[in-house]
Amino acid sequence: MATDRRKFLKGTAATAAFTAAPGVITARAQATKKDTVKAVLHGDLKVFDPIWTTANMTGNHGLLIYDTLFGKDEKGVPHPQMVEKYGISDDKKTYTFQLRDGLKFHDGQDVTSADCVASIRRWAARDAAAQHMFRRVSDTRIKDDKTFEIVLSEPYGLVIDALGKMETNLPVMMRKKDAETDPNQQVTNKIGSGPFKFNETDTRAGQRYVYDRNPDYKARSEAASGFSGGKVAHLERVIIENLADQQTALAALKAGEIDFYETPPLDLLDQLEGDKNIKLEVLNKGGNVGMCRLNWLHPPFDNVHARQAMLHLIKQEDILQAAFGNPTYFKGCGSLFGCSGNMQSDVNTEWFKGGQNIEKAKELFKKAGYDGRPVTVLQATNIGFMNNAALLIAQWLQQAGIKVKLEASDWGGVVTRRAVKKPPNEGGWNIFITWGSGEGFNNPVSFLAHTANGGKGWFGWPKDDLHEKLKDEWAAAPTLEERQAIARKMQDNAWNFVPMAVLGQWAPPVSYRSNIQGFLPIPAHVAFWNVKKA
Amino acid sequence: MIAFIVRRLVSTVVVMAIVAIIVFLLLRLAPGDPVAIVVGDNASPDQITAVRQRLGLDDPLIVQFFRWAGRVLVGDLGISIFSNEPVSKLIAQRLEPTLSLAVTTIILAVVLAVTAGVLAAWKVGTWLDRTVMALSVASFSVPVFVVGYILIYVFAIQLRWLPVQGYQPIADGVVEWFRHLVLPSIALGLAYVALIARITRTAMLDVLAEDYIRTAHAKGVATGPVLMKHALKNAGVPIVTVIGIGVALLIGGVVITETVFNIPGIGRLVVDAIQYRDYPIIQGVMLLFSGVYVIVNLIVDLTYTLLDPRIRT
Repeated sequence: MATDRRKFLKGTAATAAFTAAPGVITARAQATKKDTVKAVLHGDLKVFDPIWTTANMTGNHGLLIYDTLFGKDEKGVPHPQMVEKYGISDDKKTYTFQLRDGLKFHDGQDVTSADCVASIRRWAARDAAAQHMFRRVSDTRIKDDKTFEIVLSEPYGLVIDALGKMETNLPVMMRKKDAETDPNQQVTNKIGSGPFKFNETDTRAGQRYVYDRNPDYKARSEAASGFSGGKVAHLERVIIENLADQQTALAALKAGEIDFYETPPLDLLDQLEGDKNIKLEVLNKGGNVGMCRLNWLHPPFDNVHARQAMLHLIKQEDILQAAFGNPTYFKGCGSLFGCSGNMQSDVNTEWFKGGQNIEKAKELFKKAGYDGRPVTVLQATNIGFMNNAALLIAQWLQQAGIKVKLEASDWGGVVTRRAVKKPPNEGGWNIFITWGSGEGFNNPVSFLAHTANGGKGWFGWPKDDLHEKLKDEWAAAPTLEERQAIARKMQDNAWNFVPMAVLGQWAPPVSYRSNIQGFLPIPAHVAFWNVKKA
Repeated sequence: MIAFIVRRLVSTVVVMAIVAIIVFLLLRLAPGDPVAIVVGDNASPDQITAVRQRLGLDDPLIVQFFRWAGRVLVGDLGISIFSNEPVSKLIAQRLEPTLSLAVTTIILAVVLAVTAGVLAAWKVGTWLDRTVMALSVASFSVPVFVVGYILIYVFAIQLRWLPVQGYQPIADGVVEWFRHLVLPSIALGLAYVALIARITRTAMLDVLAEDYIRTAHAKGVATGPVLMKHALKNAGVPIVTVIGIGVALLIGGVVITETVFNIPGIGRLVVDAIQYRDYPIIQGVMLLFSGVYVIVNLIVDLTYTLLDPRIRT
């Protein structure tokens, strides 16, 4: 039988169509496996050392593969985690810790005191809370394989609190040889002793990060709560996908291609709210607190009256509404410590209760001797909250008679420029917008934005000796009530010297498929232990 | 012919050298410092200095440039500042998704567009011509990401025929590989379909008005051979030119399409690198893109000589 070219082409096309059609027509979005959770978190995982960086993405990685000596429960109370028991000497200067039995790193080695001491020292080189504590630490010594001590030069009330801290830099326990890496360099190994193991083979940098259940992990018997209790891994695998586009991430969640999306944009939540297959839940109850950093080194904010003017100038609700839309998930807040933790109060917040007062702001700028030079506002255009807040603040400043120069760039540009201490017309700045976690704001010692030690401190470089003294008193206070009393004094003082202006608080929900349960409410991170999938 | 190719290859090296210098300088002059991002919020000035020294970013620009250029000449694109992985390895990991997307898009665009353009020219002034031209204008006017979202909504969310996002390597199965490329290829390819279809129509209309086409018809040659054999080949030069331009434009489109459809290709790699100011990755990818651009142009020039023998002389 002769076959010409036309017949051959027709036959080939028909065969191809016949073969492919069922696949194409019946194709359905692939649901994820029952023992696997695919999650899209708020960014990409660039650094793998949770002691080295403050990035919460790295904190999430750290919680999966590492463990901590102590963990705070969802009320913020620290409990032993890797530690079996601990004791405090009568003079309150020596803390003795004994590790639990059966703790092993993912390479099979036992976790020892030497690993923990090296990890604590590494953490002390990187973390603000640890550094505050280590100013009083005279020795960290190994008693035996399972016992070690932290010896203080004077009593310090926050040792256990700091070792169980839930904000980055996380005090995770690494192998001694990893922890002894130069603190200026990242640890690139991913060997921890936590409930999940990092799977190098299936991970694709920039695309997906794969974690498998650690069968050798010995979970505590207590119920999981916050970072404390039994970290039982019910899932065989956790895959963290790097999916940058928000709309696509929502579509993938609706189609069941991913199981969890940490940061669904608030203006698109209505796409999820009516879907019975999707749950919305606020896991990070404290959320974030916005701040307007003022540069103390240059006019006009080197003058206290100009800084006070900013308190009266800003209308938090407008900024929050512009950025987040749905008032269910945000609120105004006048406390220096955010409005979700146990340090919040309304001491000295008349400026907040009185609402926006442009005339008052104008009067205070005049009192500050404003000389007409432009105020440089750094505007991170790629982050909605920062962009909107910068634009609104610029508008209000203009209404108060202040000349404004908006400097638009992406956040990377702001990160670089905010470190410049030169005057604004030489590459410096007057105002930039950022935020911190509600949990962080609640802690005067570990939160960098609460420093007021001048040029050595955080961007803006506020300076107030009383504030720093009160911070030390807060850290030394033995009870919560005493700390709260000191926090009220700090706030009373702070809203007089004005280290920064606050821009309200927001706590957006996470979204996940309704066949998943067990996500724990913890601040700023996502825990994958305790999570089950039907 | 060989001399022509050699001349073009030499000019390719010169172009890439110029691109390398411009990309290097642009990155260094743009606001943003990878060290500030690497070290994080609580780094002391000493720590910042230490990291800057370790990365060699405290050296004069000229020293940094020649150090990088020297490595590039021996095939070393450097190490990513953030992931500490070799840039060539990161690019190699991302090459397959990008190539897959680009090749399927080009095939789709060329087949659809040339067919539509030829048909529109053949049936000029009819509803077919007007429909093709109207669709071309619409396709060219709607941004890639809007087309992408519409396709996702219809075919992935509502009909559930195709996946929303992601990429499956071809080694894991051709069907899944293809299914993951259908929507991105259509989204990316529509603008090129429009562009190529319009040029094809115009070029074909010019050729169809030539005497030799009338002669072919008079001699009784069937319409198909007249269109494809006599007309299309002679209309080929502008069509090949616009396909070449399309391939170059594709580089920009790939960046957006890979982001919308979460395809872990080179476009995503460079977008992430720009956000983090990961200089070695940005420089490496830009060099690669410029090389592709120049080589595509070389291939287009060579194709002219095949289509029109007069150009060879």
